[in-house]
Amino acid sequence: MIVEQVVLIIAGALALVSALGVVLMPNAVYSALMLLLNLVSLATIFLLLHAQFMFAAQLIVYAGAILVLFLFVVTLLNPQGENILRDKHRLQQGGAITLGLVLACVLVGGLLYAFTSGTQPDLATSVTQTGSTYGSVEAFGQALFTQFLLPFELTSLLLLVALIGAVVLGKRK
Amino acid sequence: MSSITVTMVVSALVFTIGACGVLLRRNPLVQFMSIELMLNAVNLAFISFGGMNGSAEGQVFVLMVLTVAAAEAVIGLGIIVAMFRRRRRIDVDDVNTMEG
Repeated sequence: MIVEQVVLIIAGALALVSALGVVLMPNAVYSALMLLLNLVSLATIFLLLHAQFMFAAQLIVYAGAILVLFLFVVTLLNPQGENILRDKHRLQQGGAITLGLVLACVLVGGLLYAFTSGTQPDLATSVTQTGSTYGSVEAFGQALFTQFLLPFELTSLLLLVALIGAVVLGKRK
Repeated sequence: MSSITVTMVVSALVFTIGACGVLLRRNPLVQFMSIELMLNAVNLAFISFGGMNGSAEGQVFVLMVLTVAAAEAVIGLGIIVAMFRRRRRIDVDDVNTMEG
């Protein structure tokens, strides 16, 4: 139990640091690599929350497919590095940082207030009672193909639209 | 502090950092990566609440978000590449006309 807590704290800190890295790195390739670190640490947290299927899906779909697409486009376009610390839009930057701080205060404050005033939330304890956990592939598939069958089928339509859109956008005139 | 509290605070902070990234950066590629950060933060919140209630429904929503993120990355990167072909540089401030 104490090991899980330690791993959770480390993965959470790593997720925060790498998220800052995505925003602050001047070179877009480094940003993409920082995004990879962020995705992997979030996947670790998913595993600690007993979501094994989502851990695998996160690594395969995000780290495997989407990130490779990002790196491919970054290296294809080779954009100039930008240092946001030497940006000339000072007023805009100040406004963005102020708004970010306000958003962080509201979100974290609201969460901590909700979690300390009511009952302490924790992971559900019914993990091992039924033999299979709620995050297992079995439970996930059960929910996906019975209760959420229509949304799941509609996802295929979304993917088809994205496919056609990509072909139209990539076509040379 | 319970693990749900930790994961929810991490989720809120990663979401905020992603929102700041969209506002601060002028490179559309990095803005896209920031949007991915925000989507991931929401995924973490879904899985945390799913674990709190002991149901797999949160993960079903995460699968939908994953699909939308993949579709969005394909279309967005296609738009950026088309933009680069036309103007030879990519900066969000250059994009101020709708015609193709």
